[in-house]
Amino acid sequence: MARTLAMFTDTSLCIGCRACQVACKQWNELGMEVPQWTGTYQNQVHFTDQTFRLVRFIEEPKPTGELAWLLMSDVCKHCAQAGCLEACPTGAIYRTQYGTVDINQDTCNGCRYCVSSCPFGVVAFNESTGTAKKCTFCNDRIHNGLGPACAKACPTESIQFGFRDELVPKAQKRVETLKGMGFKEAQLYGADSNGFLGGLNAFFLLLSKPGTYALPDAPKLPQRNVVADSLLSIGSAVLVGLGALLAFRERGQGGGDA
Amino acid sequence: MLKTPDWEMMIVWYFFLGGIAGGAYFTAAIADNFGGARDRAVAKVGYLLSLPLTLACGILLIADLGAPLRFLNMLGAFKFWNPMSIGAWGLGVFGLFSFVSSVLCFSASEQMVGLRRKLSLVGSIFGFFLAAYTGVLLSNTTLPFWGDSRLMGALFLASGASTGMAAISLIMFLSGTTAGEGWGKVKKADRYSMLIELVLLAVFLGLLGSAARPITSGQFAPLFWGGLVGVGLVIPLVLDFVGQRMKAVAAIAAVLVLVGGFVLRYVVLMSVQA
Repeated sequence: MARTLAMFTDTSLCIGCRACQVACKQWNELGMEVPQWTGTYQNQVHFTDQTFRLVRFIEEPKPTGELAWLLMSDVCKHCAQAGCLEACPTGAIYRTQYGTVDINQDTCNGCRYCVSSCPFGVVAFNESTGTAKKCTFCNDRIHNGLGPACAKACPTESIQFGFRDELVPKAQKRVETLKGMGFKEAQLYGADSNGFLGGLNAFFLLLSKPGTYALPDAPKLPQRNVVADSLLSIGSAVLVGLGALLAFRERGQGGGDA
Repeated sequence: MLKTPDWEMMIVWYFFLGGIAGGAYFTAAIADNFGGARDRAVAKVGYLLSLPLTLACGILLIADLGAPLRFLNMLGAFKFWNPMSIGAWGLGVFGLFSFVSSVLCFSASEQMVGLRRKLSLVGSIFGFFLAAYTGVLLSNTTLPFWGDSRLMGALFLASGASTGMAAISLIMFLSGTTAGEGWGKVKKADRYSMLIELVLLAVFLGLLGSAARPITSGQFAPLFWGGLVGVGLVIPLVLDFVGQRMKAVAAIAAVLVLVGGFVLRYVVLMSVQA
């Protein structure tokens, strides 16, 4: 496997211009959508089959009574342990040699198990193709030496693209700088490869708690209980089977000779 | 902000019919192997019922896909830790057992009956699987309630058993083959299954606590408490104990059990996706 590629989204540098959102739409030929009123400049409310990059506009009340205006360009996290990839029964969702997660549109058959298995609600179903859609990390571009369209278009370097092992130390340094400037809640989300989901290959620097950005505090792999749930089902099968055995067994003679 | 998979009526029907198919098959296998010669009527009804239901299951599953023509892609991978993957394989293998067992129902030769009995012991493993895996599939998603419920598979299995047995007894009642001991035995087995299901349901709700709210309160609560707990479990149990000698009452109880099995799949699937 080649060195893992990553995107580091530093929300402290985002100016909400949405160049990333537009670049993503253009490059990936994503269609127009009916706009959704969110009460802010944000549009859409959440990822769709036509929106892979989404700038979130968040107003957070400060203790002083003022509002903090938080901006965040959100994207598929390309988890090291990806729920969608584990859920895919056809093998259409795969990990590329760069560590990103992509959906092969030619083999996906639209069962939608991945949709219910993404801890971030990223994967969306497209009615017209009948397949699941999400950010591809611009798979076509990165295989041709170009960065993802969103990172390329970002005018403030809020979205940085590079090797994961180079981006993480850079991000850690940035958190320290911001803390020194008085941003007490500055924190990385998904940078730790020993943390949740084995780390996110699209990780973030946040200026507030993850919940403020509609991110789960500690997302978990949905498949973690398959063994326990299966064993409990086997237990139920034994009980039900014994019940039926008790009802059907023939007293005084062996199993059903004619 | 999570997304739901839009598994709606076709999947409700699939979960319901798959439960009956699996339940009817393993009931048939147990009757065939451990019951007397007179219980073979039960076994035959069970095997022959499982076949068309399994066929319907396959059609429903394929029709619900976004790209139905690519359904065979399911068999392009085998992920043993993935309920959707082994579910597709399991349904296929169960279909084969169901088919062979059904064909063997038409032979009176002792050799063939012996083969059918041995085969059904293996096939019943897949029957249990088919009834339970749909629950494990739901309990391994990120969605609240589904992903929180550790006993969904166990509960679906017990429900598959009770509805499978109810379907067998109902068919026997309608076709007038209730004279032998077999009918009474399948009704008895059904009562045991319902009791197990009722206990499992209580533990299921207890373990979930407030996470069970999508079905225990709100718009789906009347259907859950009335349709599943009341009409689907408590009333048929009471009817069965009170009207043990009256076959028509027992047949009504079987219909109610089937209604309850459908309601269970309906409220579990639709409440989270409403």
